[in-house]
Amino acid sequence: MNGTKRQINAWTFVAPSLILTLIFGVYPVFWALKYMFYDYQGFGTPLFVGLDNFERLLRDKDFWKSVVNTFIYAGGKLVITIPLSFVLAVVLNRALKGRQLLRAIYFMPTVISASVMAIVFYVIFNSYNGMVNQLLMGAGIVSAPIDWLGAKHALVTAIIIAIWGAVGNYMLLFIAGLQNIPEDLYEAASLDGAGPLRKMWSITVPMLGPVLQMIIMLAITVSLKGYESIMVLTEGGPYGKTEVMYLYLYKLFFPVSSGGSSIQQFGYGSAVGFTTAVIVGLITLIYFYVSKKLNDIY
Amino acid sequence: MSTLHAETKIASAQTAGSIKTKALLSRILLWIFLLLVAALALFPLILAFFGSLKSNLELTTGTSLLPKEWKFSNYAQAWTSANFARFTWNSVFISTFTTIGTLLIGTMAAYAVARVDFYGKRLYVVIQSCTLFISIGAVVLRPQFDLMVALHLQKSLWGVIIILISAHATAFFMLIGFVRAISKELDEAAFIDGCNFYSVYFRVILPLLTPALGVTALWTFRGAWNEYILPLVFTMTQPALQTLTVGLAGLKYGVGDAAQPQLMLAGACVSMLPMIIVYIFANKTFMQMTAGSVKG
Repeated sequence: MNGTKRQINAWTFVAPSLILTLIFGVYPVFWALKYMFYDYQGFGTPLFVGLDNFERLLRDKDFWKSVVNTFIYAGGKLVITIPLSFVLAVVLNRALKGRQLLRAIYFMPTVISASVMAIVFYVIFNSYNGMVNQLLMGAGIVSAPIDWLGAKHALVTAIIIAIWGAVGNYMLLFIAGLQNIPEDLYEAASLDGAGPLRKMWSITVPMLGPVLQMIIMLAITVSLKGYESIMVLTEGGPYGKTEVMYLYLYKLFFPVSSGGSSIQQFGYGSAVGFTTAVIVGLITLIYFYVSKKLNDIY
Repeated sequence: MSTLHAETKIASAQTAGSIKTKALLSRILLWIFLLLVAALALFPLILAFFGSLKSNLELTTGTSLLPKEWKFSNYAQAWTSANFARFTWNSVFISTFTTIGTLLIGTMAAYAVARVDFYGKRLYVVIQSCTLFISIGAVVLRPQFDLMVALHLQKSLWGVIIILISAHATAFFMLIGFVRAISKELDEAAFIDGCNFYSVYFRVILPLLTPALGVTALWTFRGAWNEYILPLVFTMTQPALQTLTVGLAGLKYGVGDAAQPQLMLAGACVSMLPMIIVYIFANKTFMQMTAGSVKG
């Protein structure tokens, strides 16, 4: 059954997929790998400049500020999202009346486009006439409107929106992991007199180990890469307070109406793109290494 | 002796009572917590919905949740003068053809990979998984755009559709699991009955994949419908080609006059509604897709 004819048959079926992937997925990566050594603004002849772009990158304060913002953004999002979604998963994995409905409600935000939700939040978080402030003030919780999208709070607001969109997703991933833990382990522990917290630490967490590790890794990479909602919400402003690295990168290729430079910089942008990919890769590796070490100790 | 016995009895009755109250109390606290999270999850959507029915004045100054006067005309205005009819059509067009193309290309590749040990299979699978893990962000959009200029597709929705189809690695990996779940004996029986490689795909694999196709279609459609940056880059200067996500974000800058929040919310509801309706009916499928990625 694996003769030449079958080989050719198989290749005709893989070819469309492979060709599209090579042209639109692989080629752009090599394009970037080439132009990161060039001075290229989108017109004229690209000029080979060696490592100049990387030298400039090292001195580019705005870029490194965006890297720091990315860490704050991703860190803030994960510190709330992971524990909250884990607790929800544990609770909703038990026999509980209405758990299907609750799961469906918690998961609902994840089916909505990040950009659309950013617009909704933009309107309701609006400082002087947004509904959140109106309600907070109406209820007497705050006396003056909070400037949600101002320099002081914008990054926190962006984190709130990211958490809102992510909790349901990770809750579901945790539930899927929890369902792989055999029920009789808990029964045996109950017979031995273990309480709920004890069961959590001695059964749930260790048994969930590899899945937990995978989910957190996924969460880290996803939150480092996310910039859609920030782009719609604040475009990185005010004063670059919400500029994350992938948004900074985007602006080098597609300058936006406010903030940042207004010149396309493909060569420098490619260098920035390469560097951001390396940063994400490194963080993933470090996480992988540390969590493996922790596993060994455990 | 008997007093001691009685004392222990009373004590144990008291503990039983306090355990019961404790259990009840923790149940109440648990439900408060669960309902609070549910309220927070729904809160922005509810605000968006009621807000979309308020007048501009009430939206910016009022403090009540419900609109005093239900202005359904906001939707009419969004639909016609803010061009949401056009945006909706474009979103439907892009999402539909992206889904069809992804399913076709994805099932073909998944069938070949699952059933034949062809030369270069490992390399092909490695390339597909690399596209999932390596991300250089917006950089790829530039060469992709140049490629579409070369193909004269930069002024049509097909450029966006083709690029969205080209990112079919997730669908491919979902589908390959489903194809593997189909018994090979069925293929072999079909071969004995005179089928060839292609007719097995059409007559055995595709019909048996139907439920999986539904799941993958939903996943792909949602992705295309919610896509923002790719259609934005391709239609920045062509309002007639913009999708709901792009057109909606454009309202932030106001069309002609000052930005109108009630229109933004009406537009957001128009963009969200199809997904929410599908979700209400198929939430199990949506959740199954996400859960499957862990079990897989």
